[in-house]
Amino acid sequence: MNNCSTANRGIFQATVCENKQISRRFYQLSLETSAVTFPNSKPGQFLELDLSSAALPLTKAIPVELADISQRKILLRRPFSFFNVATDGEKTTLDILYCVLGAGTLRMTTLSKGDSISVIGPLGNGFCVPQGKQTALLVAGGMGAPPLQHLAETLLRDYPGIRIIAFVGAKTKEELLFETELGRPATEKIERIIATDDGSAGYRGFITDCFTKWLKENPVTTDDTIIYSCGPEEMLAKVAQTAKEKNIDCQISMERLMACGIGLCQSCAVECRVEGEDQTVYKLCCKDGPVFDTKEVVFKL
Amino acid sequence: MTKEVDISVDFAGIKLANPVFTASGTCGYADELADFMDVNALGGFITKSITLKPKKGNPIPRMVETDSGMLNAIGLANIGLEKFIEEKIPLLEQISAAIFVNVAGESIEDYIAVVERLAAEKTIAGLELNISCPNVAKGGISFGTDPAQVEEITTSVKKAAGKKVLMVKLSPCVTDISTIARAAVDAGADALSLINTLTAMAIDIENRKPVLANRTGGLSGPAIKPVAVYLVNKVYNEVAKSSGIPIMGLGGIRTGADAVEFIIAGASAVGVGTWNFVEPDGPVKIVEGIKKYCSHHKISHIKELIGSVE
Repeated sequence: MNNCSTANRGIFQATVCENKQISRRFYQLSLETSAVTFPNSKPGQFLELDLSSAALPLTKAIPVELADISQRKILLRRPFSFFNVATDGEKTTLDILYCVLGAGTLRMTTLSKGDSISVIGPLGNGFCVPQGKQTALLVAGGMGAPPLQHLAETLLRDYPGIRIIAFVGAKTKEELLFETELGRPATEKIERIIATDDGSAGYRGFITDCFTKWLKENPVTTDDTIIYSCGPEEMLAKVAQTAKEKNIDCQISMERLMACGIGLCQSCAVECRVEGEDQTVYKLCCKDGPVFDTKEVVFKL
Repeated sequence: MTKEVDISVDFAGIKLANPVFTASGTCGYADELADFMDVNALGGFITKSITLKPKKGNPIPRMVETDSGMLNAIGLANIGLEKFIEEKIPLLEQISAAIFVNVAGESIEDYIAVVERLAAEKTIAGLELNISCPNVAKGGISFGTDPAQVEEITTSVKKAAGKKVLMVKLSPCVTDISTIARAAVDAGADALSLINTLTAMAIDIENRKPVLANRTGGLSGPAIKPVAVYLVNKVYNEVAKSSGIPIMGLGGIRTGADAVEFIIAGASAVGVGTWNFVEPDGPVKIVEGIKKYCSHHKISHIKELIGSVE
């Protein structure tokens, strides 16, 4: 089944339903829009939010490490993946998990219920499921978890028999984003292996170590298995290497600085191999990605 | 009902429905915009730079946001002349807005080869000569900072352009922009566009490295608007007005008010660049904004505004 086609993208207004802090640096933003403006989307696609008119928090509420950067006047939209989309009648709700890292996300924290913001989306290609896959191995690092959680739930809905094993890594227990919606029934069906840098949850160390170890101990049939990964590029490169050694299909969601998200600015280049050619090309993360097959990506680390 | 304001302009012999263009390198080849905006609602469309051979562009990072602006060092990434003609011209043929193709190269021969080929394409109204890109090692800005070279390249390209309108895009990174503008006009330029980006730099203070892989990039966006307004006014007063050569003004335009400011400074048309990244339907709103200004100020024809600064 080919489910990789892109849905209609557009520019629309969305209303904030909720913007809640879930841990020191992480927030969950829920946006509501009409089902007509956001007809359908795929896990792995993303949104571009205009945060330029959102207010800064009061000075005393700005974390010390962001005090300098908070002075920046922002211009460009910010790209975000979403971890849940739900349509109920005429309304569509989009849920975004974000980490407060800079001038844009700092302003994002002040959005409150009822505020209206401009959104462009859904953008990019999204993950796809090639025919005949019975096992999906998800490898998530840090902020890479939300789109993979969305993927996992979509897989469970559309491919009820599929086995999903999620390998989730984060700096600390509180940053394990895949865990935030633990109560949801769908996620209970997902086997989970956890690693944190500080050992506050699961294995202490890199999630990629858990992943390779698991594959060693649990031989899989390469043809009916697929790996999906999202997270820091170093992690993606390791996952890609493992996929190559085991000859398993692997799709990764990449991240790049982008000015537009819609293929205009050409900022978000991803170096890719072309079959049968020596020279590489630059594909665009926003348009040709953000999901790439690891066979084509040239990692530079 | 009040009479509809006439905001059509004659731009170097091309009749434009309104003075709003998309700026080169910010709207691809128009196909990417279709989901957001009706390009036909604009006066003109300027393509991304075309070079003789395809170009991958610079390594990443090649863009970074700065205060009220952004730096880019894309490095003229483009599909090359042949693929442009094969794949994009058929799409551009469906657009009624005036199509300008931005042309870049590493040598005068490169420019001539591209322009000669494009001059044969019916759907193209004009060519924009890019002698002001700050992000390539060869060509680009090096042609645009020396009056003698500007004159030489403009003369050669003008010959190759045949009947197509030749617009020369100027860099703000020169001692006296009017000298460069004069050289282009004397060599046969039919129009001038200004400004291209300002060469600029951002440094990551944690690792003490330039943020962009190219070290430097071109600054664009609202941050450069006052510089652009000044330079448009300067070139209008010192070169364009007396020679009757129209200016397309650009640099940081976001609103109808910004566009009107450039027109009052001396621009006959305006380009919208970086703002397309934020609001991909922005140019259409700018057209409406210009109309609104004119009717509010009882301007019956936009011509009355061009260069009207006291």
